[in-house]
This record gives sequence, structure tokens and C-alpha cells, in this order.
Amino acid sequence: MKKLLALLLSSVLLCVFSVSLAQEGPVRITLWHSMSEEAGVLMEGYVRQFNETVGKDKGIVVEAVYQGAYADAVSKMNSVLTGKQYDVLPDVMQLDATGKVSYAAAETAYTVPEALADFPGTSLTLLAPAMANWQLAGVQLGLPFATSTTVTYYNKTALDSAGFSAPQTLQDIAALSSLARDGVTVYAAIPNTPTLANWLGQLGSDLVDQHNGTEGTAARLACIDNGALAAFLQAWKDLYASGALVNASGSTDEFVAGRQLVMTSSSSSIASLTERIGGAFELGVAAYPRVNAQSAAGATVSGSCLVMFDHGDARKAAAWELEQFLTSAPVQADFARGTGYLPSNALAEESDVWAQLVREHPQYQVGLTQLAETPDTMRSVTVGPSADFYYGIINDISDMLEEDLSVEETVQLMQDDLGGMLAQYLRANP
Amino acid sequence: MSERVKKAAKPYLFLLPMVVFAVGFVYYPFLKTAAQSVSNVNFRGEITGFAGWENYRYLFSRREFSIALGNTLRLALINVPVTLVITVFLAFLCAPVRRGHTVYETMLTLPMAVSMASITLVFKVLLNPSVGYLNYVLGLNIGWYEDRHTAMAGILMLTVWMGIGFNFLLFLSAFRSIPPDILGSAELDGAGKFRTLFAIQLPLISPTVLYVLCTNMIQAMMTSGPILILTQGGPSRSTLTMIYLMYTAGYSSANYSLAACVSIVTFLLTLTCTLILFLMERKRVHYQ
Amino acid sequence: MKRIRDTGLTLLCILLGCLVLFPVFYGLMGAFKTPAEFIAYPPTVLPASFLHTDNFRAVFTQVPMLRYFLNSFIVAASSTVIRLVLAVFAAYAFVFFDFRGKKTLFFLLLGTMMLPADTVIITNYQTVSRLGLLDTYLGMGIVSFVGASQMFMLRQQFMMSPRPLREAALMDGCGDMRFIVSILTPLCMPALATLFLQSFIAQWNAYLWPLLVTNTNAMRTVQVGITMLTTIEGTNYEMVLAASAVAMVPAAVLFLALRRQITRSLSGGALVG
Repeated sequence: MKKLLALLLSSVLLCVFSVSLAQEGPVRITLWHSMSEEAGVLMEGYVRQFNETVGKDKGIVVEAVYQGAYADAVSKMNSVLTGKQYDVLPDVMQLDATGKVSYAAAETAYTVPEALADFPGTSLTLLAPAMANWQLAGVQLGLPFATSTTVTYYNKTALDSAGFSAPQTLQDIAALSSLARDGVTVYAAIPNTPTLANWLGQLGSDLVDQHNGTEGTAARLACIDNGALAAFLQAWKDLYASGALVNASGSTDEFVAGRQLVMTSSSSSIASLTERIGGAFELGVAAYPRVNAQSAAGATVSGSCLVMFDHGDARKAAAWELEQFLTSAPVQADFARGTGYLPSNALAEESDVWAQLVREHPQYQVGLTQLAETPDTMRSVTVGPSADFYYGIINDISDMLEEDLSVEETVQLMQDDLGGMLAQYLRANP
Repeated sequence: MSERVKKAAKPYLFLLPMVVFAVGFVYYPFLKTAAQSVSNVNFRGEITGFAGWENYRYLFSRREFSIALGNTLRLALINVPVTLVITVFLAFLCAPVRRGHTVYETMLTLPMAVSMASITLVFKVLLNPSVGYLNYVLGLNIGWYEDRHTAMAGILMLTVWMGIGFNFLLFLSAFRSIPPDILGSAELDGAGKFRTLFAIQLPLISPTVLYVLCTNMIQAMMTSGPILILTQGGPSRSTLTMIYLMYTAGYSSANYSLAACVSIVTFLLTLTCTLILFLMERKRVHYQ
Repeated sequence: MKRIRDTGLTLLCILLGCLVLFPVFYGLMGAFKTPAEFIAYPPTVLPASFLHTDNFRAVFTQVPMLRYFLNSFIVAASSTVIRLVLAVFAAYAFVFFDFRGKKTLFFLLLGTMMLPADTVIITNYQTVSRLGLLDTYLGMGIVSFVGASQMFMLRQQFMMSPRPLREAALMDGCGDMRFIVSILTPLCMPALATLFLQSFIAQWNAYLWPLLVTNTNAMRTVQVGITMLTTIEGTNYEMVLAASAVAMVPAAVLFLALRRQITRSLSGGALVG
């Protein structure tokens, strides 16, 4: 017991000591990020660049820590918030949509309006749809860093040789069913929260109320009374009936191996897909498929933003410097070139780096064009029970095809299942 | 502080550490789980109000729940008897001490030292539709863990395998503890091998059978590791189990009241199983 | 005649043993294969060469496998030690003392076996996270400090050493602690050793709890670490097998080396849980 006490005491002393030490030197801040592979190398590079330039001038040293995938990082943040161990939190964190609700409720969240009030005179030139994606109840939670949208990838070589052009609608994909053979499928997908919201958005409907949960806590499905959900489900059933759709999550491996001809996925995969295909066939990139020829075009923004936590004035200032650096035009243009993410900064589009990239690889422009064409009423979805909701959609729609449920039955099923989740969440989190 | 008080306090002091942890990490969480199951709990685990049976009503109305319950019971009701038959048979075969018996005894008990994570990964490859060996040997083309109709069968193969080592060991020592003269006299009476097994040996080892039934039943109801690693409850919820449901509700979705309801229901299930088996015991089991 | 039949039965048993161990064997062999061998049809069990150790090298260089091992070892060893120390103390109190509430406390401790650990795992997770113990060795081990079955078995062991032994020792001026450390535990060493091993193997192989309470790579245990590998390396089967082989070996070797003791104690104590 004595030993334990001594150990505790000495570790506390050590902590105090190291904190006081740190305060004498430059301001040290931490960044949690979720970028792996190529994007991870780039991210660490930008941080190094920051430390050598802006950081050197202003006396800031940033330590970048990889926290695993977004879901892992969000789980970690949630558990830290549950334990109220605020000092474990970083100064800046890369957060995806699933972390918005709990971040917004965190006591030590340091949001963009607060930073703008503390540091007047900052001018932000970030893309409006990308910015809007990180608002919750009118508060700008963070600045967009890794911005992407969902696009259609297709095997251009195979489609060309059969005389097909790039698919624009679900009907176009259905028309490809003649290309399905043993071992080759046309399209594999199961709708989930963002993809379903895209298709409903094209039909002019939100998935949930409160403007897809961005203006308040969503309490019910908003796509039932207006018939949008039923219309989409019918289109999805038709696609399945055509034989072009496999009721399974799309697999990048299958697509790269040439065994799946069409795939809908994040625009940020362009660079890695091109590399993995390695010339085996030509990679086609098209806008996200429309539900039908009459529906609007477009898909919402996905990706992640950088949020901040309050660790005192000096570190807040440093964190805000880092945010601005990572979302600056040069960094965003370079990041776009290296990965396929869209530049979040409007000025990046005017840079030479971007111009040259689009000249050489026009596919990189597809996502950005799509973002511009997407109606700004289309918002990505924020719900409390995000993981359950996500899998709920997948399972319900998958069951519709597997168990041959009618559209009405499926709508009812989703109403009970997803609506029930929202109601229960609201009850537990008033 | 007199000597007497000190002396009287001594046993309590020795017990204190274990009692503290038993209360802190077994009884307290159990009571808290029970309390959370009838409360509104927010996403940070704070109780915000009394919910009555509302959480249970919600749970029972969820499709996931009936599916998870069905899957869990099916898994337990297939896994337990299959493992039992296999291991009783193996132990019966290996019971007589022959030359080289340690070799096969070691082989058959080794699975108990193999970690769940390791063997699960091996099964993942073994049952893989394109590179796996099982499909090749059986001449099948099944994506075991990718198809909603076969995923549970794939999980069952794995869980049955995991149960072999320990159960075999228990039955082996149970068979061997039967006094040889009982078997000898049965043989003299001209009873065949299998007659003696069913008429004499099985009744004699029934306490072990009961114990194995009990623990395996509880274990099967707790199945979650292979699900987490292999299928995440899918495809289409076909391998969703109670504990996995509890894990996703409580950990991934921070829906603590729902997780609490699931765990109370699971606990009651295991308790019921245990009670049923013990009631059966009073009628059937023979003690030596 | 009997000898021939016995040999036949022995062979049959060995054959069945091979069948049961086939997945393990398959996994170990697969760890030596090259990616090309894996894709080749028809699939084989044996690798072309055992000199192909790239997979093992990759396992140790691409993920911090040694760190995982260290973490697993620290958690398994320390929590096993603490569990046994607590069990020894409790068993000691139950055997050598008469006191009020003895029965109640005994059943209180034994009753912990009725509550499956997995059903309270989320609540324990909340507790541990509230205590700020996520991602610490203490947090990983703390829920396994209570070992009711170990306590029960030690109690039976202690009952074999008569009370007069303790009284005589105390008469000689020996304190309780010294009695436990220098007289009682040496007497029960074989039982303690097997309890240790058995508990160590169980802790070494634990999965769900360490998965829940660790969230940085540096704190993962072997069992959790190897499954993380599959999500990063989706299709790298040979590496997955190499990792699982690496994680399998320590417990298996311990088991093989001490099989006799472990099995004897397990089968003896089985009926008490």
C-alpha cells in the first residue's frame, strides 16, 4: 500500500514537473488524426512543415498522433468524455460525422465561432458546402480538412468494349446487366446512412427531420410522408430485379480485380485505385448515380474536419494556427493531389498544382463539379445513434431484397426500426 | 486498539481485498446494470430519469432483439449437444490406458490452450471461399462467413472446435475415475461395450455431464468473440448474438440503457438454463 | 488379439487427434506460404518451403508485435499474481479463523461465479473509464482480480494443513503473513503453480475486455493486436496466419510443457467450477 502511494505520488509529481517544464519552452500541442497509408504520410509531413515554418516563428510545436480509423478515434474521444478526463484530449482532432453530436456536447469543445471571436481578423476561404457539413444547430464545429464526396467508379475498358458509356442513373446501371457473367458482377452495394441520404436528397427529401439533424436532434424519418423513401426503394428493387445489383457491400478488391464493373465510393480513393489497378484497365469516374432521369444530381460532402479542445489560451491560439495552416490553399491543393480528396479551400482551385492535376487527370475534377452542382439543401445526416442507424438501414434494405418484402412493408419496417431508434435516443438524451 | 479487537478484525482484513473487488467489479456493476435497464441513460452514461419498463418494451419491439435471441438460442442448442456427443465419444474411446495414450490425449486437449483470436483467424482463412482448404476438400463453393445462410454454420464449426479440449479432458478423467471392478463385473455379465457405456458409464459420469452442460450452455450464450472478429453480426444479422448486440449498443452506440436490458435478459437466460439443469439433476444424476 | 485391437484403437485415437488439430496445423503451415502459393489452385496444406519466413518478419516489423507481447505478458502475469494473492488471503481467513458472517461472506464470494463476466462488461467499462484507467495495465487487469474458483480450491488445499500447525507456528512468534509466506504456500506450491498457469493462459488469451479498454496501438495485447491486422491487411492471408501462429505458440508451449499438472488440477477441480 505504501509502495502504491509512493508510486502514485511520484507519478503525480512527475506530471506536474513535466507540465511546468513544458510551459517554459514553446507551446506544445497535440493533433489526433485518422489518416493512414499515403494520406497519413502526407498529414505527418504537413505537421513537420508547420513545425519548421509557422511553428518556429510563433513558438509552437505540434505532435501528430495517429488514432486509428475515424470510428476508433471517436470511440476514444467518447470514452475520454465519459470519464471527464479532459486533459487527455488533444488540442486539435480530426473528426468525422459520427463524432459531431458528442463533440458538440463536450464541455471543453472550442468551436470556430469562439475562435473567430478570440482572434478577430481571421479570414476563411473554405468551400461553402464543405463548411456547412460541419455545422450543428447553427454552430460551426470545425474546419473541413479531408473533404470528399461519393462518386461512381467504373471499369471503362469493359464498358467501352460492350458499347456502354458511363452510367448516370440507376436505370443505366440496370442496363449493364447483360455484362454480368460467372465471376463478374455489375454493381454491388447496400444503401447506408450517407448513400441513402444522397438518393433521397436527389428526390428532394431529407432522410430525417430537423434538416437531416443539422438544426436540432432528429426525431423521426422525414422521407415517408412525402413518398421519397418508397420511390427510392422501388427503384432499388427494380435495379435488383434487373440482375445488375448484388445485395452485398461493394468490395474494392473485387473492383480492382476486374470482377465488379461499377462501384460507388469516396472520391478520395482515386489515387489509391489508380495505383492498385496499375493499368490493368482504364478507371472511369462519373458523378454519383441519380435515382432516375428526373431526379436532381449530386451527393453530400463526406470526410472529416478538424475540431479543437480548450487547453488554456496559449494552446488555443496555437491550435487555431494549426487549423488555419492545415486548411490553407497550398496544403489542401497538395493533399488533393496526393490522395483524391477535394481541396477544402476555395483558393486551392486557383492554384497551379490543382490546374496541372486536373489537366493530367480530369477524373479529379468530377467530385468538385458534383459538389458545385449539388443543391445546397442537401445535407449529410447527423443522428444520435449513428452506428445503429447506419446498420439499421443496411439490414432493412438488405432484408427487403433477400426476403422479397414489398415496398410498403419495407417502409413500415424502416419506420419502426429507424424511427424507434430516434425516439429512444431522444428519450434518453433530452 | 486492544489486542482483542485486532484479533477479531484479522479475518476480515484478510478477506477485505477480495470482497472489495468482488463488490466493485461483480456485484456493483450488476446492480448498476439492473438500475440502468430501467432508467434513461444519456450517451455519457449518466442516468437522466426513471424509465420503468420502457427500455425493455423498446428492446422487445426491436427486430434485432428477436433475431439475436433466436440466434443465441440456436447457437447454444446446437453447439452444446454436438460438443457433448463428440467429446463423450472421444473420451470413451480414449479412456482405457493404452500404450502411447499421452500422445493422443495431448493432441485432443491442446485446443484448450489455443486462443480464441488465433483459431478464429485460422478458421477465417480455412473457410475462405477462394483460398480456403475446406471448400476444396468438400468440393463446395461456399462463402461460409459471407453468406447469410451459412455464416452461423461456420461460427458453429468454430465454437464446437473451441469446446473440444476442455470437455474432453473432463470426460476423460470422469471415465477413468469409474472403479474398474464395476466395469469388470459388467463385462463378466456379457454386456457389450456400448451397452456398458449407456447403462453403466454414462449414469456414473452424469455429474460431469451435468457440469459440462451447464458451463457450456452459459459459455455458448456468451458467444461474442468470433462474431466480433469474423462477421460483426452479419451478413444481414444472421450471426447477431445477445452479447454482440450488447457490445454494439453499449460501446459503439453509447446506448447504455439498451445494453443494460440486453445483459439482464442474457443473465436471466443463463440463470434459467442453470436452474433447469439443476432440477433435472435432482431426478436423474447419480452420484457415486 | 487384444494387443492388435489396442494398437488399432491407439491409431484411431491418434487419427482423431490429427483431425482435431488439423486447423492448428493448417494455420501454422500457412504462415510459411508465399502470397502466390495461397492464390494457387488447388490449395495445399504444406508450404513449398519452411525457409520462407517473410510473413513472420512482416508480423514483427509492420505491427509492434513485441510490444503486444510485452503488454500481454504484463497484464496476464500481474493480474494472475494479484488474483492468487487475494484468493490465498481469502481462503486463509475461511480456513483458519472463525468469525461472524463467515458463511455469508463465503457465499458472497462464491456467488460471483453465478454472474457471467460478459454481462457486466459494459458497466465495468464505464467504471474503468470513469476511474481514468482506460488504456492502462491496471484497467486491463482489474476486472479479473476476483477468482472465486481459485479461492475455493485453495481453501480445500489449506484444509489439509491442520489448524494446530498454524497455532504452533504462531506460538513460535511467527506472524500470519510469515506463516502464509514461509509455511503455507510452500506446502501448496504444486496447486498454486497450476492455478497460476491455468489463470495465466486464460488471461493471455482474453479478448473482449482488452479490446474494450485499450484504444492505442501501444497498449494492445497480442490477441487484440492480431485481429487488428485483418482490418488493415484485408486479403493478406499468410500474414494473418503468421500472426495467429505467433500468438498461439506461447500458451501452447506452456501447456505442452506442463500438461500433466494442468490437466490433473483442472479435472480434479472441475466439479467445483
